[in-house]
Amino acid sequence: MSDLVLKIENLTKTYKLGKRDVQPLTNLNLEVKKGEFTAIMGPSGSGKTTLLNVIGCIDKASNGKVLIDNVDIAKLPESKLYKIRRDKIGFIFQNFNLVPYLNARENVELAMELAGKFNGQRKQRAKDLLATVGLSGREQHRPQRLSQGEQQRVAIARALANDPAIILADEPTGNLDANNKREIVKLLADLNEKRGTTIIMVTHDEQVAAQTQRMLYLSDGKIIEDKQTQKESLFNSPSKSKEAN
Amino acid sequence: MGILTRATRNLARRKTRALIVIIALSLALTLLIILPPSIDARQVLTQKVINSIIFSDGWINSTVTLSATEIQCDYPPPYLSSTISISDVNLPQPLMNESLYDKISSIPDVTSIVPTLDVLSTANRSYDIYGVPLDNVSLTEDPSILPSNITAGRNLRVGDSGVVILDEETAKNFSVSIGGTVSISGRNLTVVGIEGFEPQGYQAIMSLTDAQAITNATGEASSYLLFVDNMDNVNTVVSRISSLDPNLQVSDGLSQLDAAQPLESQINELSQSAQNNLNQIQATGLVEIGIAIIADVAIILFIMLYSVRERTKEIGTLKAMGASNITVLGQFMFEGVLLSVIAAVAAIAVGVFGVPTLSSLLLPTPQQVGVNPETLPNGTVILQRMTWGSKPFLGSGSNVISASITPEIMLIGLGAAVLLGALGSLYPALKAARTRPAEAMRYE
Repeated sequence: MSDLVLKIENLTKTYKLGKRDVQPLTNLNLEVKKGEFTAIMGPSGSGKTTLLNVIGCIDKASNGKVLIDNVDIAKLPESKLYKIRRDKIGFIFQNFNLVPYLNARENVELAMELAGKFNGQRKQRAKDLLATVGLSGREQHRPQRLSQGEQQRVAIARALANDPAIILADEPTGNLDANNKREIVKLLADLNEKRGTTIIMVTHDEQVAAQTQRMLYLSDGKIIEDKQTQKESLFNSPSKSKEAN
Repeated sequence: MGILTRATRNLARRKTRALIVIIALSLALTLLIILPPSIDARQVLTQKVINSIIFSDGWINSTVTLSATEIQCDYPPPYLSSTISISDVNLPQPLMNESLYDKISSIPDVTSIVPTLDVLSTANRSYDIYGVPLDNVSLTEDPSILPSNITAGRNLRVGDSGVVILDEETAKNFSVSIGGTVSISGRNLTVVGIEGFEPQGYQAIMSLTDAQAITNATGEASSYLLFVDNMDNVNTVVSRISSLDPNLQVSDGLSQLDAAQPLESQINELSQSAQNNLNQIQATGLVEIGIAIIADVAIILFIMLYSVRERTKEIGTLKAMGASNITVLGQFMFEGVLLSVIAAVAAIAVGVFGVPTLSSLLLPTPQQVGVNPETLPNGTVILQRMTWGSKPFLGSGSNVISASITPEIMLIGLGAAVLLGALGSLYPALKAARTRPAEAMRYE
């Protein structure tokens, strides 16, 4: 268990939709090791996003255990869950969800400010992280002055701000064009490889999922397939081919 | 970057909306800031009017000194004559002599006469020399001629001679106490009693004979108090006295009462009207303050509710990043308070320059007409109209309505803005804080 960062046992999530009980997750079991890059795939309504939300402590499990770094978050009240979200989880959203009135550096800093880090420490680290995601010199730009790919890079830097145990990415390439999609997936893969960051990513895109180490297929709230991937070259794109040459 | 930066950036993001909200809030806060000092200034002014009315009322009451069977006669003081200027107020009181006393005594129905002598001393420190007849008849008929406020020693008695009662201040000026001797115009008198300074002021009271001797007015008196056997005979006696000397000022209890009653009712009406006016000012002011408070809270409540709704996704993102409920609550409450404080600063600026104009628009005009009693040369008492508030009175600016925004009011205004901002944004901030992140993330 020591190298497990996430362990889920018999996770069930039920909620009411009108008069109907809906169960997006049913007796789901999953283990994720530290440093793994995992893709979760499945059709719409299969429970991918619900699973991500439960792992990210923004939704509660109805039954079962969800252990992050050996802490069962399923039993924690909201007064403690926010600390798990702040210290253990980094979120990357499909729509980037940057705060529109803050610039790139301030968006990254905001995550650290919530964690109580000091001003000077925050500024330098935000700059470093933005440099890591390739946005040196763009620190002062507000989201509306950044391209979609750049906005997602800022979101990635923000997710890394507090050195979380897990980064949860919900369709991080869903709103990006092919070039940006390639760049973002490469960035995530690099972060995973070079920094050992554990990433769990929900995606519909086979090519994107192929860049991870492990693919989980969800259907009707259950994992129906769990396989290791053979990492493919990035989308066999012309630019990648050029790089290969 | 902190909560202040985030709040100001968020306001700056919607400049027009923020400006409209700040203008609306500052209108409400302007009322809150200018109304209390304006009400206070009107209260002070109206109180002055009421005080003048109360004073006049007391003065009118004090003119009714006689009962129905009493008549007072004397020569009017010279300063009441139209030929005497205000600088001659210390002219000696004209006195009545013994022959007049004898003539009045012989009028049928007059049962007794109590003569008194009231002469201003010519000593450095002026005081009244007041002589009263110390015989059984006079003291029985009119005991009020004796001092009523003896604080040390004893009062004058029947048959006293060569003794005096001084008021406390005059005794101090003479450096004398009970048993001591004072020399007045070369005549030594033993101090047998001290009376309080109020209500008569500086005076030395002694027997009529002593007072006449000191003032070289043997047989003379400044005032006669006559007692008539029957109320029905008062008018006849009055006309007979007047026929003795047309210059005599003769008044009786019934005519004093007749003269005082219309003045009394005039004073009552003015007093009631001033009080009603004050009540109206206070009620209007309180209603307007209430409206301003409700408007301020309501504006902040609605704009912050709108903001929370508009920023649901941002709230979800903040919570997903690990913001606690308290952090979210603080962020939104701070934004509400910031809006209110910015508006308060604008309201203070408006208030400082606009308080006279705005307060006259917002509050009823205070009652500015009071009265002051005046005695005409013929002895008639009238009420003179006096106006406060419109211009400096007798060279003093203190009677003008002078509401101003003091530093204390500015601080109270800012404090109220913080409080109302916090109150108005509390519910929206709680709503934001309680938003479940999963729901917020789904919100579009």
